[in-house]
Amino acid sequence: MVVDSGTMEPAEEQQQEQEEEEEEEEEMLGLDSEEENSEMSDDELQEAFASGLLKPGMNVLVDQPKKHVNNVEGMKQCLADFRKDLPWVERLVLTNPPAEDVLSQAEGKVPKPANGDVNADDDFQREMFFYRQAQATVLEALPLLSKHGIATKRPEDYFAEMAKSDQHMQKIRKKLISKQMILEKSEKAKKLREQRKFGKKVQVEVIQKRQKEKKAMMTAVKRYQKGMTDKLEFLEGDKKQPGKDSAQGSKKAAAKKGPNAKRKFKDQKFGFGGKKSGKKWNTKESFNDVSSFRAKVANAKGGKKGKGGKQNKRPGKSVRKKMKGRS
Amino acid sequence: MSAFKRKRGGQGAVGKKAKKAKVVADRDGAPSETEQGTKNEVTVPAPVSSGKWTNKERVLIFSSRGINFRTRHLMQDLRTMMPHSKADTKMDRKDKLFVVNEVCEIKNCNKCLFFEAKKKQDLYMWIANSPHGPSAKFLVQNIHTLAELKMTGNCLKGSRPLLSFDPKFDKEPQFALLKELFIQTFSTPHYHPKSQPFVDHVYTFTIADNRIWFRNYQIIEEDASLVEIGPRFVLNLIKVFQGSFGGPTLYENPDFKSPNMVKPSSCLLKLYAWYFCK
Repeated sequence: MVVDSGTMEPAEEQQQEQEEEEEEEEEMLGLDSEEENSEMSDDELQEAFASGLLKPGMNVLVDQPKKHVNNVEGMKQCLADFRKDLPWVERLVLTNPPAEDVLSQAEGKVPKPANGDVNADDDFQREMFFYRQAQATVLEALPLLSKHGIATKRPEDYFAEMAKSDQHMQKIRKKLISKQMILEKSEKAKKLREQRKFGKKVQVEVIQKRQKEKKAMMTAVKRYQKGMTDKLEFLEGDKKQPGKDSAQGSKKAAAKKGPNAKRKFKDQKFGFGGKKSGKKWNTKESFNDVSSFRAKVANAKGGKKGKGGKQNKRPGKSVRKKMKGRS
Repeated sequence: MSAFKRKRGGQGAVGKKAKKAKVVADRDGAPSETEQGTKNEVTVPAPVSSGKWTNKERVLIFSSRGINFRTRHLMQDLRTMMPHSKADTKMDRKDKLFVVNEVCEIKNCNKCLFFEAKKKQDLYMWIANSPHGPSAKFLVQNIHTLAELKMTGNCLKGSRPLLSFDPKFDKEPQFALLKELFIQTFSTPHYHPKSQPFVDHVYTFTIADNRIWFRNYQIIEEDASLVEIGPRFVLNLIKVFQGSFGGPTLYENPDFKSPNMVKPSSCLLKLYAWYFCK
């Protein structure tokens, strides 16, 4: 540790000396065998141990935590000596926290840090903080300035040298314009790309529709060829649009119901949650279940029997004999 | 482009012939038509007149050898922004720092901004009140100069700035001391001969992350819409001394890490390079 006499305060010096001593003692124990370094004799060590400055056991050499000068009194004194009390007009100083961030509060975005501390790593937040601080100053200062008769707006015809030359400002303007152009171009390109994608989608849909129509036409033609229909209505194409739709609708409805009953029965018998072995057949529920009752079938008293009988019935032996005898 | 001498007598000078205004014109070289006085000839209501300029602050801005282009531009920008500044030649690094006080005395300056470059990388800035007063040493980082194209604002050359400080400057004694130092150094005196009578830009000093951030904004509208002019930099306080460029240390920043400690040493870098090239 470099002890610079110039930087030492008298009050601190004594403390420094004591700490130096301790440091040396610890160093001593670490370098036991090196007699050259020891500035304390064995007797002194014994004394120190007896008085409790040294503890038994391994003493490790520790780095002295660095002392940082913070001479508050000195600084205050210095400030008092050095400050000038000038009227505000001379110095134009204002101390203020930043102005309220109206925009972000309206959007409900940013959680304001509780103690007003700005996060130095978040670039945007930080710069906005500085900006708002400047804004608050300006808002406060303008009435004060007008009171003292100092203008902030210069008249139109006041030509004077500016901090940045006109050439430079031209360059800046050009850069801003070019940036805007680039942005616009990229926007256009994006839109075009989107359109093209959309266009592709539409194209694919149209092609698919056409293929469907073609397929329908071909099937209709085939049916006519095979004799399933004798109507040539498919040639008319789009004329019967609503009618076609209704036919299609009814077809769909019929298609829905048809295989469903069979499917339903099979599902019930074999599917999951269907019939399981070992179940009772005639339970109360099955007895009371009348859903499979067909009134037509039950009340038709031999309605279609004549035709059916005719198809299947074979005459008896005596009748056949009679027929045979006669023929 | 005719140059006329600006009359410093102003309204108070009765009986003297009113002379035409001195103006440093812009590129088209149009002479200024200023506010009309009561006389036939064009007079400028002179903001400066003898006897009115009392606050005699002069700041000496110069540097040591070995600075890079960014530092040089920063210095030039500061000289542009501060009409109460004076320039000097580069100081040889072999001389001790006390020599700076003598240079200040020769130039009749009572404040000093001294830029010191080390190892062609780190920039240190001294701000001092010469000859007796306090001084402070900073490490300067994140320098952006006036010439950057992202800084779109502009202001009159030599116009007086508004100074805006964070309330945190009043909370701790070292910051209070620095605040006073900044105020006296950066504020252009009223009625300074090279100053312009309008106030159209504002400096902000803010404390964040234990560093002092400096920004310069142009005031466009009366409703406080601002645009950044530049330059901008960040100051990391190292030490505050009681004397000018020396003297007892009043404050040492415990959070300051010397850039030598932060950066890996050259031999370590060579080791890494060798390892990765294998």
